[in-house]
Amino acid sequence: MKISNLDALDEIKQQGLKKIFPGKPRIAVGLATCGIATGGDLVFEALKDSLEKRGLDVYLAKVGCIGYCKEEPLVNISFPGKPLLILHRVKERDANSIVEALTKGDVPEEKALCRIEEWDHLTSKLAYGSGFENVPRYSDIPYFRYQKKLVLRNCGLINPEDIEEYIGIGGYYPLFKALKSMSPEEIIEEVKASELRGRGGAGFPTGLKWSITRAANGSRKYVICNADEGDPGAYMNRNEMESDPHMLIEGMLIGAYAIGAQEGVIYVRAEYPKAIERLELALQQAEEYGLLGDGILGTNFSFHITLAKGAGAFVCGEETALISSVEGKPGRPRPRPPFPAEKGLWGMPTNINNVETWCNIPIIIAKGGNWFAQTGTDKNKGTKVFSLVGKVDNVGLVEVPLGTPLSQIVYEIGNGGTGGKKIKALQTGGPSGGCIPASLFDTPVDYEKLKEAGSIMGSGGIVVMDADTCMVDTAKFFIEFTSDESCGKCIPCKEGLQMVHETLEKITRGEGTQGDLEVIEDLCDTIQKTSLCALGQTAPNPVLTTIRYFRSEYEAHIRDHKCPAKQCRALITYRILEDKCTGCTLCARVCPVAAITGELRKPHSINPDLCTKCGSCKDVCKFDAVIVE
Amino acid sequence: MEQEKIDEIISRHRTASGRLLSILEEIQKAAGYLPKQSLVYLSKQIGVPLSQLYSLATFYSFFELQPVGRHIITVCQGTACHVKGAPRILSALEDLLGIKREETTPDRKFSLTTNDLEFTLNTARCFGACSMAPVIRVDGKVYGYNTPEKLPQILKRYGWREK
Amino acid sequence: MKNKIRLKINGKEYAANEGEYVLTVAAREGIDIPALCFNEAFEPYGACRLCLVEVLAGPYQPGLTTSCTLKVKEGLEVLTETEEIRKHRRVLLELYLAQAPESQFIKDLALKYDVTATRFRIKYDPADPLGNKCVLCGLCVRACNEALGIGAINYIGRGINTKVNTPFLEPSSECIGCNACVRVCPTGAIKFEDVQDQRIMISWSKTRVPLKQCMICGKYFAPEPLTLFSYQKMDPRLEEGLEDVCPDCRRKLFSRKEILASKGIEVRK
Repeated sequence: MKISNLDALDEIKQQGLKKIFPGKPRIAVGLATCGIATGGDLVFEALKDSLEKRGLDVYLAKVGCIGYCKEEPLVNISFPGKPLLILHRVKERDANSIVEALTKGDVPEEKALCRIEEWDHLTSKLAYGSGFENVPRYSDIPYFRYQKKLVLRNCGLINPEDIEEYIGIGGYYPLFKALKSMSPEEIIEEVKASELRGRGGAGFPTGLKWSITRAANGSRKYVICNADEGDPGAYMNRNEMESDPHMLIEGMLIGAYAIGAQEGVIYVRAEYPKAIERLELALQQAEEYGLLGDGILGTNFSFHITLAKGAGAFVCGEETALISSVEGKPGRPRPRPPFPAEKGLWGMPTNINNVETWCNIPIIIAKGGNWFAQTGTDKNKGTKVFSLVGKVDNVGLVEVPLGTPLSQIVYEIGNGGTGGKKIKALQTGGPSGGCIPASLFDTPVDYEKLKEAGSIMGSGGIVVMDADTCMVDTAKFFIEFTSDESCGKCIPCKEGLQMVHETLEKITRGEGTQGDLEVIEDLCDTIQKTSLCALGQTAPNPVLTTIRYFRSEYEAHIRDHKCPAKQCRALITYRILEDKCTGCTLCARVCPVAAITGELRKPHSINPDLCTKCGSCKDVCKFDAVIVE
Repeated sequence: MEQEKIDEIISRHRTASGRLLSILEEIQKAAGYLPKQSLVYLSKQIGVPLSQLYSLATFYSFFELQPVGRHIITVCQGTACHVKGAPRILSALEDLLGIKREETTPDRKFSLTTNDLEFTLNTARCFGACSMAPVIRVDGKVYGYNTPEKLPQILKRYGWREK
Repeated sequence: MKNKIRLKINGKEYAANEGEYVLTVAAREGIDIPALCFNEAFEPYGACRLCLVEVLAGPYQPGLTTSCTLKVKEGLEVLTETEEIRKHRRVLLELYLAQAPESQFIKDLALKYDVTATRFRIKYDPADPLGNKCVLCGLCVRACNEALGIGAINYIGRGINTKVNTPFLEPSSECIGCNACVRVCPTGAIKFEDVQDQRIMISWSKTRVPLKQCMICGKYFAPEPLTLFSYQKMDPRLEEGLEDVCPDCRRKLFSRKEILASKGIEVRK
C-alpha cells in the first residue's frame, strides 16, 4: 500500500510498534554478518524449534548488530512492561534453557549482558519498562557508556528486513517533513547548520557539496552512495547497511530532493553479499510503500535507486574511479577539476557521499542542524562510527562524538590490550592512514588533529597494535596492499609503490643497507605529492608515520639486522632454554623440518640452519622453554 | 553458454548505471567464469568493443577468464612447506592431473584446470598449518604430511581416476 | 568571440583564451613544461604527472597540480620551475627510465633535466611487444577508442601489470590499420610493417589488415578497412569510381580532366 498522507504513515507506524511491542515476549536474534558467522543463524533455528516444540506464543524476529562484536551472538529478549534484555555469547545449546526461563518470565542469569529501560531512536523514544534490577543497565557497561549512538541508533534493535519496524520507531517521518513542508534550499541550510562533514575520510563539508551540486548546470543530476568500504579492518558501513538499510535510503531520498536529482546509485562492494541482500529487500519494500520510485508520498517528486556492485577493486572507493566503474569502465580515477559536483556520472552534476554521511541526514532533518552541531568539537561536529579491532580486548563497532581522545576509545571502551598487554600504537584510516604511537593517544578523533599527527580519520578503522607488532612489517603490509590495488594509471603510484615495497621487503629480510631509508623517504615524498588520486597520495602514510615515530625499529633492522618485535622471520632465532626444557620431545615431533634434536628427558636444541621459524615448537611447548630472540 | 541465456541476462539490465559489470557478473555466475565466446557475443549484442569487455575482465579481481574446476586443490607455498618438499608435491599433482604449467598468469598467480573441468590446481602463500608440512587444501579441507605417494588416495576421494 | 584571460606564469603576464589549459598557453609562449600524455585532440588525462606547476594565487587551491588539467582563470599565478618541481620531476624521470629502458625519447627527455641514471630496478622484458618503450601514457588507447570509436586496443590488467594490447592478445578484427596509434605515441613504441598486400600491426598481436590496391597503377595505397571507414565519413562523398584509385592516380585523373575541360573538351567516364 502506497503511503501518501500522514494518516497512512501513522497507521503503518502503529503496525510497526505492534511488532516491537507485541504484547507478548519477543526474542530478536542479532543477524548481521558477524552474528551469523559466530553461529547466530543456528541460534535462531534452535530457538524457533524449541518454541514450536513447546507451542509457545512468542514473537521471534531478526535484528541487526548493536556493535559489541566480541560478545556475539547477541539475542534480545523483551517481556511486556519489562526492560529489553541483551543476552550475550548465546550458543545453539542455550536455546532450551532460554526458552525454559522464558516460560517463567525470566532469562538465564549468566547470559544477561545488560538491560535497556528506554531507548532514544532520535526519531522517537521507546519506553520498555522497569525490572530485572540485578542485570546491569546498558549505560553501566563501559563499552556502551562512552558511546553516543546517532548513526547506530537503530542497529541491533529493529528488524532490518521489515520496513514497518523502521517506520514504527519514527523512520521516514523526516522524509515526510522534508517533502511536505521544506524547500530544497531549506534542507540544504539545515545540513549546512549541522556542519556535517563527509564521513568517507576526506571530511568535506556536506552542506557545501550539496549546494554546489544543486547550483551546477545539467539536464539530469545524480546522487551516489559510496559503499565500497575497502579499508581492511573497517566494517562500519557494512553494519550500517545490514542493520538499518532504510536510514541510508531515507538519507538519499532527502538529499536527492534537496539537490534536484532523479536517479541514485548505491555502489556496494561485491564482498558484502548480506548488505546487498538487505538493501535489495529494503529498496523493494520502500517502493511498495510509495516511499521510493514515482510520485513519492503522493508528491510529484520521483527518485529511483539502482544498486551497482563492485567487482573487487579497492581503488573504486575513490569517487572518480567509482563513477567510471558505474559507467562500465575500469576504475581508473580522473583528474579533478572538474569535480563530480560539476561533471560526474554520465557527465552530469553528481553528489557522492559515504554511507555514513547519508545515514546522518534523517536525524539532522528530524532534530535540526543546530541540535546536531551540539555534539562534537570546533569544526568537528556529530559522531563517528569506528571499527575497533586488532590487539584490543573489546573488539567491535564504536560510535563516539568527534573530538573524543583516542585513549578513551582504546582504554575505556576497548578495555586496553588483549591479554592485558601494553599497547604500542594504533593505526587509523586504513592503508591511507598512519600509525600513532601510544605517547600520542591524547590525540582526539578530529579531522585536523589526526592529520597533524601524520594520519587521517579515514573511514573509521582503528587497528590496535602491541609490542609483538613489528612496525616495519606493518608498513610493508600496507604498501603491499596499496601497490596491489593501484590502478596503474600514473607512474608514481604504479611504479613508485612497488619500489618502496621491494625496499621494505629487503629490509625485513635482513638485507637492508644504509641509504635505504633515504630512498624510501624520497620516493614516498614524490608519490604523495604527484600521484593522481588519493590512493597514491596517501599510500605512503603508513611508511612515513612508522619512520617518524618508530625510526629505531627501522635502524635495528638495517644496521643490526634485528627485529625488536621478533616478527621478521629472517631476523629472529628460536632457541630452547635448557633449564626449562623437560625433554618431552613434543617440539621435535611437530617440527616440520626435523630441526630439533634431543633425547627423551634431556634438554633439546634447535638447529638454526634448518629452522624455518614457523613457530610450531613454541605453540606446543607446555613449559615456556622455547624463546624467540 | 547459450546465446539465449545471454540475451535474457541483457534484457534484465536496462538501467545504464552499473549495467555492464552486473551483466558480466551474471554471466560468470551462470558459467563459472567468463567464456571468451560469451564476451564476443555480448560485445556484438550490446555494441561495446570486445577490447573494452576484456579490459574490464582483466581489471577487476572478481572476474575469471579461465574456467574453474569443480574441485580446487591449493598447494601451500609457505617456507616450512617449501623446505619439506612442496615443489615435489606440486609437480606430482601436475603429473597426476595431466596439467602442464607453461607460464603463470599475468597477475603472477598460478592456476591451472584440467580439461574435464574437474580440478583446478593453484598455490597460496601460507595456511598456518606448518607443523603438518607439506600441506595441501582440497575444497577447503586441509591435508598434511603429504608425499607424492599419498596423493592418489586423496584425489580419489574427489572422483579422480588413474589414467 | 572568446574572452581574453590574463594570467601570470613565472612572474610574467600572458594573455590566454577562456577554456584553455595552462600547458597549452605555456607551449604557445615557449615556456618549457614537459608532458607525455597530453594531446590537443583529447580530454586531459593527467596520467604522466610530468607537467606539474605550482599554483601561487588565483581561484584554485595553492600547491602542485598538473598544468594539462588547469584551466586558465583571471588572476591565476603559477610557477613552472621550483626546487620542489625539479625534485619530483627527477624522481619521476628515474621511474620512467626504469619502466621504458629502451626508449631513446625518454632517455633524451631525462637528459634534458640532468637525469642520466636511475636508482630503480630496470624493467626489461625481451618479449615485450612494445619493445620496452611504452610509458602507458594512454594516447593510443584514447585515439583508438575516444577519437575514432574503433576499440581495437585497450588497457589490460591493473596496477603494475598494466599493458596495452588487443583482447586475448589475439589479432584484432576491429583494427582498421589507420596507424593513429603509431602517430600519437610519444616514444615510437608501436611497431608495424607493410608487407606486400598487408599491413601487419606487429605490436598489436601481429594483427593483419589488408591493403587496398589501386586499379590503375597496382600500388597498395591504404588499408582497406580504413578506406571504408573514411569514405563513409566524407561529405561530399568521393566521386564515383575514385574509391579504388590511389591518391596519385586520382590527382592525375583530376588534372587530365581539368586540362581537357580548359580546352573545352568534357571528359565523360
